[in-house]
Amino acid sequence: MSKRRQIGLLLLLTSIVGAALSCNVASSKEPFFGKTTPPQRNIFRYVTGDEPESLDPVVSTGQPEARIYMALYQGLVEYHPKTMEPEPALAERWQPNNDSSEFKFYLRQNAHWSNGDPITAQDFVYSFRRALAHETASRNAYLAYYIKYAQDFNEQKVFVRDPKTGQFLNAKDFDEDIPAEPLSGGPLDSGPGEYSIPEVETHEPIDSEFHKQLHTPQRLTLPGDPKARNKAIDADAKLKAAVAGKEFVPVKAEDIGVEAIGDHMVRISLTQPGPFFVGLLAHQVFRIVPQKVVEKHGAVWTQPQNIVTCGPFKVRTWQPYDKLVVERDPMYWDAATVKLDEIHFYPMADNPSIMNLYKVGEVDAVLNHTVPNAWLEVVRAKQDYMDGPEAAINYMLINVTQPPMNDVRVRKAFNYAIDKNAWASWRKIVKPLTAFTPEGIFKDYPRPKGDQFNPEEARRLLGEAGFPVTKRGDGGYSCPKFPVDQVEYIYNTQDSNKAMAEWMQAQWKQNLGITVNLRNMDWKTFLNVRSKLEYKGFSRGAWSADYMDPFTFLSLFYTGGDSGSGWQDPKYTAMLDEANRTLDPKKRYQMLAQAEKFLIDAQPMIPIDTAAINWVKKPYVKGMYPNAGSLFPWKYVYIERDPAKWDYGIPSLTAD
Amino acid sequence: MLRFIVRRLLVTIPTILIVITITWGLIKLAPGSFYSGEKRLPPAIEKSIREKYGLDKPWYTQYGKMMWSIVRHGDFGTSLRFEGQSVNTIIRRSLPVSAAIGIIAYLLALIVGITAGSIAALKQNSRWDYGSMTLAMLGISVPNFVLGPILVLVFSLTLYWLPPSRWGGFPSRNLILPIITLSAIYMAYIARLARAGMLEVLRSDYIRTARAKGLSEKDVVIKHALRGGLMPVVSYTGPALAFLLTGTVVVERIFALPGLGNYFIQASLNRDEPLIIGIVAFIAITLLLMNLVVDIAYAYLDPRVRY
Repeated sequence: MSKRRQIGLLLLLTSIVGAALSCNVASSKEPFFGKTTPPQRNIFRYVTGDEPESLDPVVSTGQPEARIYMALYQGLVEYHPKTMEPEPALAERWQPNNDSSEFKFYLRQNAHWSNGDPITAQDFVYSFRRALAHETASRNAYLAYYIKYAQDFNEQKVFVRDPKTGQFLNAKDFDEDIPAEPLSGGPLDSGPGEYSIPEVETHEPIDSEFHKQLHTPQRLTLPGDPKARNKAIDADAKLKAAVAGKEFVPVKAEDIGVEAIGDHMVRISLTQPGPFFVGLLAHQVFRIVPQKVVEKHGAVWTQPQNIVTCGPFKVRTWQPYDKLVVERDPMYWDAATVKLDEIHFYPMADNPSIMNLYKVGEVDAVLNHTVPNAWLEVVRAKQDYMDGPEAAINYMLINVTQPPMNDVRVRKAFNYAIDKNAWASWRKIVKPLTAFTPEGIFKDYPRPKGDQFNPEEARRLLGEAGFPVTKRGDGGYSCPKFPVDQVEYIYNTQDSNKAMAEWMQAQWKQNLGITVNLRNMDWKTFLNVRSKLEYKGFSRGAWSADYMDPFTFLSLFYTGGDSGSGWQDPKYTAMLDEANRTLDPKKRYQMLAQAEKFLIDAQPMIPIDTAAINWVKKPYVKGMYPNAGSLFPWKYVYIERDPAKWDYGIPSLTAD
Repeated sequence: MLRFIVRRLLVTIPTILIVITITWGLIKLAPGSFYSGEKRLPPAIEKSIREKYGLDKPWYTQYGKMMWSIVRHGDFGTSLRFEGQSVNTIIRRSLPVSAAIGIIAYLLALIVGITAGSIAALKQNSRWDYGSMTLAMLGISVPNFVLGPILVLVFSLTLYWLPPSRWGGFPSRNLILPIITLSAIYMAYIARLARAGMLEVLRSDYIRTARAKGLSEKDVVIKHALRGGLMPVVSYTGPALAFLLTGTVVVERIFALPGLGNYFIQASLNRDEPLIIGIVAFIAITLLLMNLVVDIAYAYLDPRVRY
């Protein structure tokens, strides 16, 4: 074959591909992305993300798994499909005490496990204790730390008891900072003193020995490990004198503040007032597991032949990395509301592959953040594209432990030098962020305003910090004194992260004349480098809400919780504590907002944007809403076969 | 011959153990751990996880325990990422997927590759030769992560003929695109090797002798030329089969197939130590066995080779 012929062949091949591409582009005039033929059977096919780690709800921290757990398990409450506020699930109603430090949950009488066993209050006691047990090693256990002695139990701590009198030492005698006891820690005052609403059922036993015991002042706990304990005791003379002759009693599962009262009431006592606590209870770690099955089968209890569940669906088959099929559970308490016969979860991680499957109509909806950047332009115009604010933020962490970033003026300068509005309009689907909580998510929360884009101020601050910025002849800037080799930006390898890194790099170069080096690494390496502060300068950060309260974001910089920035301030922690002790929700929000203002002024991070959801669902999928957490109570989802009733556009999150 | 096989098998065992040791060491050196996530865990929770999986023990204890379990029971332990799933079960479950696609892709590559290569050699410098060699060149130069998406674009997204991904059971239409994607590069290599091998053999003395004896061209080609001409193909296809059997990372990823390759890449990204070691060991064993098979095949194909 001559050269010319070879070129001819190449041209032919390119034209085939080109024709295919142009067909694709031509389809952009259609209202939806790909086929819109509903599945023949009453099933829903969904890509929820990569292969689930486990079907045990206490194991995984991820959102892909959270959606599977929502099909299989329930807790006291469930997320509302639109607002994500808690709505009744296995508890039909609940009642907080006067300072939200104790809650009573009234369970349904007609709830059953998938094997027909009734669900009782004891199941909650067992599941909560299991989630917190050291042996379970749940990564989510910290979410339950608000429960009295839960953290002490999880950390294997010990109480200190006088062997002669049986009295325990109290925490407040040794720590000035312990706040005033919440009602759940004070002497028991059942009735109007603690619960403002009178008891509905008069026959219920309100009091118990355990309850009385919980209502004593918070006990002192010390590390369970003798080495660490002796170190703590030696460091505090008063403590040393007090523990002499005392015995150490391990904090047991039975000590945590979860109590079954009869078969249908659960009472939970917290260490602090927790107005947000009920919202937290929809989280996967609080969903219940069947004691008998777990104890009988051990680690393999989640295998399809063993598993017993309590959600709207139960496991039918599970072929890892292929599909998980769940079917409607007739034993579910609200089985009449469940509309789908089956849900097929396809474990996939490659975004273009997922979108291809969606386009040809082999799946009915996909998980959040699946539309690749390059496709956004086309897919956003379609009526099956789901858009809306997300309870998630993107930011940059700053390693504040090393110069020059230990100077707040330098940190502020780098923040001022980024035009976040321009970033948001370039990225198209995000909103600019100047504070540390997402925009448009927490109703009535007075979000503080952070610093706006201001390159002059940025240059002034840098100059003040000893790094004068000078204007070059060509209109650009330069900052020769700045130690560029002491600063870098690290991120985990991913196209969208790279785009953001390069964009920010360009901003700094343009406005400050500083070129920050970029360094990318795989996810696990990145996490390691970031948490050990082995980076200089900046690191990518992102967080999505665990529960619908600003505290889920603000707690990232709480002392002890690790931010990856090295920044800690007892004052900030105290502000958060005080806010959480405040009963009036409005006042509490104001105090949280003050704390947030304090945080953004300290600038241990640079806020970038409030994320936006971006996923697609076929118009015939109804009852599935683009809520802020991308978590869906599956019992409401159904397949609509009448095109007149389809969703043409984004279903409203407010209308009922 | 038997002695040779036994000796080779005996050498395999220490090789595998060395491979496992090196892999184990590399994982230990890699930063990060299977439980790390966006929010750093409270130290107490991290401690309980490390205790649960025996990661708090000194390295020699961990290494000894792992090796003992592998040598004594052939047990690679339990996956760290997928709670309660043993590595042996995962391999047993995902191998058939990789093998099914791999074997078909292999056979396809052999049949098409050898046929095209032989024809090209027999009709050297004809349009057959140029045509098949151009295609082979393309097949070699277009990587499968390009070819796969192009095939998907044309046959799934535009023509809606074939599903773009997922395992639909065996056999199913889902497997057509991954098999073609997978076999393309092997097909191309085999065609080129077969052509080169055949060309060399066709010019050799014993073919001239065969022709001089008055054998028909068919007999010359099939009985004499092919046997010698395919030697390079044989030495190439042994390891190729091993790689095809144990799954290919890219193709399984693009087409979302639950094979070994998919698990392998995920296990590495997740720092799932037992699973990585299990899969690496399995791939090493397969590779060594395939090389042995190649050596045996040599003895059969080439009368000069004797062990």
